[in-house]
Amino acid sequence: MSKPPGAGSGPTAAAAAVAAQKQKTLLQRVDNDISNIVDNFSLLVNVARVNDPPVRNAQEAFQMEMRAARMVQAADSLLKLVSELKQTAIFSGFASLNENVDRHIAEFNQLEENTDRLLERIGEQAAGSLKELETHYYSSIERMSHQEG
Amino acid sequence: MEGTMKIDLDKLPIKRLEAIDEAGNEQFPPDIGYEEKRLNMIRRIDFSSVVEKDSKKQKNSKEVAGPQVWPWQSLVENLQLAQQELSIILDLINTVEANDAVTVAGMQRPKQLPHEALSDIAVSAATKLQRLRHLGRYFKQSSKALERQVSREVRFYGSLIRLQQNWKVKRLRLGLTSPSSENFTIDLLDNSMTDFILSTWSSALSTVRIDHDPAGNLTVELPSKLLRSLYIEFPGFHSSNKQKSFIKKKIQVSDDHSRDDKSKAFTADDINNRVKDSHLVLREIQRSIFQEQVFDLVYHDTFNPSRGVNVVAMREDSLHLSIGQETSVSLCLLPPIEEGSIEKTDSACQAQKQDGISSSNSLGLVTVEEKQDPYKKNYFNFCDPVCLEIYLQYLFHKNVFLKAKDKSLSNVRLQAVSQPAGSGNSLLGHFCMTIAHRIFSQKVLSVLERLVEGVPYLHLLSHPTWHSRISSWSVSLKVPHSILHSSRRIKPTEGCIKCGVRSQFHTKIVVNDDQIIVSGECAASIVGSLRGNCLEACSINSYGCNLVDLPMVILQQVAGQVIHWIYEEAMVVGMKVSRDFLCLYFELDHGETLGLVANVDAEDIEGCISWWLVFDDGSMEEGKLAGEDGDCKNRRFLGHLSLEALHSTLMDLVSLCSAGSH
Repeated sequence: MSKPPGAGSGPTAAAAAVAAQKQKTLLQRVDNDISNIVDNFSLLVNVARVNDPPVRNAQEAFQMEMRAARMVQAADSLLKLVSELKQTAIFSGFASLNENVDRHIAEFNQLEENTDRLLERIGEQAAGSLKELETHYYSSIERMSHQEG
Repeated sequence: MEGTMKIDLDKLPIKRLEAIDEAGNEQFPPDIGYEEKRLNMIRRIDFSSVVEKDSKKQKNSKEVAGPQVWPWQSLVENLQLAQQELSIILDLINTVEANDAVTVAGMQRPKQLPHEALSDIAVSAATKLQRLRHLGRYFKQSSKALERQVSREVRFYGSLIRLQQNWKVKRLRLGLTSPSSENFTIDLLDNSMTDFILSTWSSALSTVRIDHDPAGNLTVELPSKLLRSLYIEFPGFHSSNKQKSFIKKKIQVSDDHSRDDKSKAFTADDINNRVKDSHLVLREIQRSIFQEQVFDLVYHDTFNPSRGVNVVAMREDSLHLSIGQETSVSLCLLPPIEEGSIEKTDSACQAQKQDGISSSNSLGLVTVEEKQDPYKKNYFNFCDPVCLEIYLQYLFHKNVFLKAKDKSLSNVRLQAVSQPAGSGNSLLGHFCMTIAHRIFSQKVLSVLERLVEGVPYLHLLSHPTWHSRISSWSVSLKVPHSILHSSRRIKPTEGCIKCGVRSQFHTKIVVNDDQIIVSGECAASIVGSLRGNCLEACSINSYGCNLVDLPMVILQQVAGQVIHWIYEEAMVVGMKVSRDFLCLYFELDHGETLGLVANVDAEDIEGCISWWLVFDDGSMEEGKLAGEDGDCKNRRFLGHLSLEALHSTLMDLVSLCSAGSH
């Protein structure tokens, strides 16, 4: 990571330095792991040759196992690195987090407005229906007959 | 070796005379170097005795073994020989190693035959092949494991990201900071609520751990504590309306799930469902926390005394309040219950129950009571506890939580009540007033309904006010159209009440908290009648009254309106009429008057307004009008007339009067 221009001092610079350091270590780890895999593989291939004097069989077998284990271990470490990167992306992607929050705020505001409107409409409808029902009731036969009786 | 070997050592190897010549000169041998000396010494080792002994032994053993032939004899002997040779060689080697002077000059390996060499190579190639195969298997296995891990992480982080879009996910590093030992938690606590003291209960709930199960699924750890929700109950009445808990269902189901999980592969739908479940669980926890907070706030609010609200009982999870004289309400925090097992729970509220329902809270009992007391049923239906729960939460959310977020107002509590109505600064006061108002307005409504039952030509109309502490109705009186004036009638509108003939009269009843305000047009006002000014009587007036007087006030109002209508009709016809409080006098000839008097009785079952016809020939004093029952000649009960009947009576009177005048 290149240092941001103009960041001479202060927390930003420190954070940038830390980030740069972190990036460096991460890259180093990637390099290490990759070279580990490649080296071990080439050694493995070398060991795979059948030697002319058929000696050192056990030693070679051990060596092969060791190389293979190292390769797998390096791959695993790479995977861990990937998951670490994922975590960093999840927890340090403040831009996307903020964006998300903003989006949600907008969404909820919209929802609130809609709900308010809906409630208003329901209230109005209920009032209207009540009025209608009341007029209907007072002009109904039952009420009329009651009136006559 | 057993010590039969002899070693002959020269006693004086140094400075020994070699020869003396004739001249007597002594000749010394040349100095022997160390190495030469050693070599000489080795050369002197005599192995002959050993060899002899060995051969003797062999002979002896052969003699002994001779008679019984053992098949492995020769092999054993050969081996023994070989061992001896080997031991000798080992000795030699040791000696050679110990002495620097002796070096192995050259040794030749026996040359291998071609087929031997090939077979050697073949063997080693086969071994190597086996090793490589083994390695291949190992690689395959580990690649599978890594693939599984990759897919697991994809699943987990995918779910985590989706959760993160809605919740505050935190990373919790344990003491050993390796990336694998990381834990994720979801923080459900609102940071802006720092000024509220959280109860230990809700703070324990607020951090939810995320589990990462071996299959890579993200699961939200279900809370160890029970989630409680806020309930409002009226003593003696049990609400059957309980919230259903998703988590509880989830706990039951989770056992089955865990069994299934191992066997089946995960599809995208599965993961979606799981994320959805997590959302639901979190949402429920959050809601519970909110309700706990609301309960806490209510709790704290009880310390600010508000008018008419008294705390009767207080417990950790319940609060019993009495509002005014009659009403009491209890707020409880209860764990959710399952359907069909209502009896098990809410012991807290059960204990506080007053008489009425004594033992269990089975629904049957409640319905029985509802049947017995329809008024009570109405009363509780109107104050649906669920509505009140929602209202209480809404109130606190709007006035405390949102305002605390704004932070613009330093003193939240004082400004809390946005509705300026009434007394009681605290939200709880407002809430209790609302309950009291609800119950009171329900009583008012039932009174009005009874009145409308009693007076057939009255219409009761509701006017929603959208205010929790104000209710409003109007009683309208629709008068029949006059046939005589249908031609010149102008459509009556609100604006021109006084002009022309009207078709409707309104009386408005507004209940504000526990005050009733009745306002009506054309009301019979005693003051107006005293002045003899009818126009004043027609003006809209409003006054407060209490619940007991309400039916009388309304009936007087209505009767006054009817009288006013008949008065107007009579004026139109051209009769000489004068109006008094609830009376209408038709002036006949010779100073005689005929009075139409409205009698108002709210308790009358047949009808609340009845009519009398009073004949006054001028000899009677006014005071006797109401008193003496014996004068049946002068008074005639007309009964509970409908408006049409009244109108026709009026018309009859008109014809009578005109006949009388002629």
